[in-house]
Amino acid sequence: MQLSNTEGIPGKEITAFYGVVSGSTVRAKHAGRDLMASLKNIFGGELKGYTELLSESRDEAIRRMTEQARQLGANAVVNVRFSTSSVAAGAAEIYVYGTAVTVE
Amino acid sequence: MDQLIIFALLLSLGYFFGRSAEKRHYASIQQREQDFINMPTTAGKYVLGENTTVTKSHLVTGSVVISVDYFKRILASLRSFFGGNVRSYETLVDRARREAVLRMKESCPDADQIINIRLETSSIYKGQGKQIGSVEVLAYGTAVYLAP
Amino acid sequence: MKFKPGLPEGNVNVSHNSPGKEFLLLFAGITAILLSAYLILGLFIDVAVNYISPELEAKVFKTMSYGSGEHQIENSDKQQAMQILVNKLQQCTDLPYPLQVNLVESETPNAFAFPGGKIVVFSSLLDSVQSENGLAFVLAHELSHFQNRDHLRGMGRSIVFTALMSAVTGAGSDLTRLVAPVANFSQAQYSQHRETMADEQALAIINCYYGHVGGATEFFETIAPLAGNKNHTSAVSHYFSSHPEAERRIANLKKLADEHNMPRNKTAPLNATLSANTAE
Repeated sequence: MQLSNTEGIPGKEITAFYGVVSGSTVRAKHAGRDLMASLKNIFGGELKGYTELLSESRDEAIRRMTEQARQLGANAVVNVRFSTSSVAAGAAEIYVYGTAVTVE
Repeated sequence: MDQLIIFALLLSLGYFFGRSAEKRHYASIQQREQDFINMPTTAGKYVLGENTTVTKSHLVTGSVVISVDYFKRILASLRSFFGGNVRSYETLVDRARREAVLRMKESCPDADQIINIRLETSSIYKGQGKQIGSVEVLAYGTAVYLAP
Repeated sequence: MKFKPGLPEGNVNVSHNSPGKEFLLLFAGITAILLSAYLILGLFIDVAVNYISPELEAKVFKTMSYGSGEHQIENSDKQQAMQILVNKLQQCTDLPYPLQVNLVESETPNAFAFPGGKIVVFSSLLDSVQSENGLAFVLAHELSHFQNRDHLRGMGRSIVFTALMSAVTGAGSDLTRLVAPVANFSQAQYSQHRETMADEQALAIINCYYGHVGGATEFFETIAPLAGNKNHTSAVSHYFSSHPEAERRIANLKKLADEHNMPRNKTAPLNATLSANTAE
């Protein structure tokens, strides 16, 4: 499955399209990590636990989106967009969407 | 003691009513998605398809605010203690997004395509503590009408 | 380029498992964690209490007093009379430091051990006992608390546990409401255990002082019907209360007195100062 955030896949031609597909996930870190993060807020610096959380969530969301595209019969998703929001405290919500297409 | 009873009552009310509301909503979403199956949506700037001659286009939006039931909110706070997938919020955001897209489509039933779709999510209500009860989704895009 | 309409089969964006099962599993998990945290921290407190000398305790709590000053009945004759009784009872214990009786105006018949060597007695307690023996038992019960240092244990546990709860679950969150019964239950069970211990020691103290245990259950017999009405609404509420039920305390004391062959002789009446009507 090819993913791209441009209008098409460079060097290939879109032969069919299926509409918008999307993947989303809400994930949280355990309370110990939250506590460490709130301590880190005092000193500043990267919140490693939350960086990890975000990349885990992103991977999961992409996996879900490509699964949906595969179900429709697509082999690529173009114009991929990400959006994040805080639906719950300490939890990361990632939403990814794009147009499912067949490229040749 | 009284507090415990009230709490258990809220929890079971949330569980049963939340479940039936969710079931009904999903049934309606699936039905309407089937109705609009021939109106394609794309995330790109250009009109896709064989006929790309646009006669008319305009901005369309659809938005919705959905709240999670008490049981799922408690379940989410338990889950965020242990970490992992907050499954009880997954259906909330999924329903909200699909509903927002459907409302957007319903606002222009005669359009041929909606291009350049964008979705924005925000939590507009913050309840007691840091618990968030509901999610707002705004879907917007450009509805295009193609030459016959 | 062609449009191929279609809907994905199934829904990949949501998990298809039972939320009820997930809830039970997580709730059991958090209960187990909190109970073990409570046990471990409780052990730490018990050890720490042994390192707090009565002098240090007196110094720390010197400035603390119960309630607002206006309710306190300063230097009354009743307070003096009770002070004398406490001093006499103390000879039957191995408490090395002096205790101070504070009489406080209140409608609820109660008494408790306050850190810093103060026994706080609510004025209506005097109306709830008929004899000096009955009053002596309540005072001896508080003396036992001091001897076991329960006042520090109880305070330490509630401080540490409240801090732990708010650090882990966030103060005032939904999660706190969920686990509050667990916390209350473990604290209530511990407190009931300490109360029963204090009752048993108090029995020994008044047996030593009077030579018999007559009147020991007087106070509980007065409050039992009052408390009984209140708790009638629920069969489980006594699991969450800090003191055992009055009926159960009476039964326990009677059983104990029989086991140790402590006689129940005639009780001595309250002296004139103490029995005088509280309304002045």
